[in-house]
Amino acid sequence: MSQTPRVLVANRGEIALRIIRACHEEGLEAVAVYSDADRLSPHVRAADVALPIGPPPPGESYLRVDRLLEAARAGGATLVHPGYGFLAERAHFAAAVVGAGLTWVGPPASAITAMGDKTEARRRMQAAGVPIVPGLTLPITEPAAAIGAAEEIGYPVLVKAAAGGGGKGMRVVHRAADLLPALETAASEAQKAFGDASVYLERYVERPRHVEIQVLADHERTVHLGERECSVQRRHQKLVEEAPSAAVAPALRERMGAAAVAAAAAVGYRGAGTCEFLLAADGSFYFLEMNTRIQVEHPVTELVYGVDLVREQLRIAQGQPMRLPRGPLTPRGWALECRITSEDPANGFLPSTGRIEYLRLPAGPGVRWDGGFEAGNEVTLFYDSLLGKVVVWAPDRAEAINRMRRALQELVVTGVATNQAFHLRLLDDPDFQRAAIDSQFLDRRPDLLEGRPPAARIEALAVAAALAEEEARLRRRPRVAEEGGRDTAWRDAGRREGLR
Amino acid sequence: MKYFVTLAGREIPVEVDGGSVTVDGREVEAHLTAVPGTPLRHLLLDGASLTLATEAGEPGEWRLLVHGSRHEIQVVDERTRHIRSLTGGGAARAGLSPLRAPMPGLVVRVLVAPGQAVEPGQGLIVLEAMKMENELRATTAGVVAEIRSAAGQAVEKGQVLVEFAPGAGA
Repeated sequence: MSQTPRVLVANRGEIALRIIRACHEEGLEAVAVYSDADRLSPHVRAADVALPIGPPPPGESYLRVDRLLEAARAGGATLVHPGYGFLAERAHFAAAVVGAGLTWVGPPASAITAMGDKTEARRRMQAAGVPIVPGLTLPITEPAAAIGAAEEIGYPVLVKAAAGGGGKGMRVVHRAADLLPALETAASEAQKAFGDASVYLERYVERPRHVEIQVLADHERTVHLGERECSVQRRHQKLVEEAPSAAVAPALRERMGAAAVAAAAAVGYRGAGTCEFLLAADGSFYFLEMNTRIQVEHPVTELVYGVDLVREQLRIAQGQPMRLPRGPLTPRGWALECRITSEDPANGFLPSTGRIEYLRLPAGPGVRWDGGFEAGNEVTLFYDSLLGKVVVWAPDRAEAINRMRRALQELVVTGVATNQAFHLRLLDDPDFQRAAIDSQFLDRRPDLLEGRPPAARIEALAVAAALAEEEARLRRRPRVAEEGGRDTAWRDAGRREGLR
Repeated sequence: MKYFVTLAGREIPVEVDGGSVTVDGREVEAHLTAVPGTPLRHLLLDGASLTLATEAGEPGEWRLLVHGSRHEIQVVDERTRHIRSLTGGGAARAGLSPLRAPMPGLVVRVLVAPGQAVEPGQGLIVLEAMKMENELRATTAGVVAEIRSAAGQAVEKGQVLVEFAPGAGA
């Protein structure tokens, strides 16, 4: 009797749970790994086998190749899915997995290497005929040389970590005087985040939309699954994603799709990947980078193309063909995703930590929640601030916005602050509603980041607070004391004031 | 009991007398019911339905969460309010709240010096946490009284970083 194949899920949080669900639906078993901080996380409980890999800091657990490989061996896994973040785009991990005789659920290590170094990737894309933003093809080594290079490229320039992603190690510079300090900060952030301080320079395209193309490649063919627009970003961190994009008509989708397929083919890609592009107002587009892994925002593509990308990853890794029909694929309806993070909009979006005391998830027609936390779980500073994603599908964009508003009104998270209220303000914004967005949208709209209670709700809040206070006082004060209530109230008040 | 409720810069009188509630002199039908096993309470205000999550702080301090928005609300009864008006108690006497670290992190830079007047929104401290540099800003106008942190120092959540004295305009 042959054993059911097992997949080691080398990740945590919502993506680990997402992968475990796909494994189970695909008839595979899942081996979870966990740091000491994640002993009770949902992904650990959802897996068939779960193994500890070390203390909470990622460098001592989720980034430890040796412990992950040992967990795969001990758990009887024959496949390894890296998720996103952590080691997902580290070619040496992919190579180590294959070297240990296991199957890597992802592209060949050579494709990760080719795309992982952003400078090298630009060179190869240029050679493959994929349009790229004007800029340096070599990282900056001499700060002094950067001044001349920036003049040549033309301001504004973007300083960007060669090993980067997620907005870390990125700075926009508008004039020569600001270049050297920006290089210094970006390099130091890049060193801390990625262990590699190399940065490069490129032309900064003003007000571009961030549009990315999903590709999927099996042993026989490479296809694209249209675009996702991720223009709503804060400090280069995506907050809201949608598919399709209001700025992409079918003809442009085919051109961008063909460029993404060419990019994937140029590096011998296999599995699921994403080519990120800047889309200018005039319809010109530039390749930014390829993410050689599943992405946070993959569900919006799944909803409009009727595909399960993680299950396709698992099939392709096992040598099976993808289950997508041949011939042209077209998106159906509209999907929207809001990332719910433990960041406090009332406090400059600083991370909020603590125990999730209560969690009520949205439900109903067309709503999907991909999360990695439950009530009782601790949100710590060791990991990413993503708690989960609310994803909705509807026939068109306006309906999707209405459905998302309804879903977000159902969501309740207590114990940690979240950015939920920001999303609700965004959905009510006329510019967002008519898709007048670009990747600098939130920079121009700080009003959306900070909110005040709507005037209509102030009275209800005042009544609720007064009733809650009345109830609390009745509970605090036993009935026998009622006779002396007046005195007690005076005494209480005096005591409180005296102690201030 | 007559309460004065302060939120969003407004003071709203709310009188609660058994089942009868009067807001700003207008009688309303209001019921607040706790949802057992949750921090939720359900408000029916003249039939309008609203679910809130409640967190009680110090006596008279409430944090209400509606659709992810957190509202800080102070509730004082008439007598307490009167005593405060006689003793000059309350916010004016409490002084300006210090800048505290909102999370554990590393102080990267201190942007102000003792004696310096600051405006709301002005950067005070750059704190590194989660591999990002975060600028902590002043919420009100004031004068820096004391810097209680230094560049390179690791700080805990809630630790006081900067103390203030009321400024000319505060």
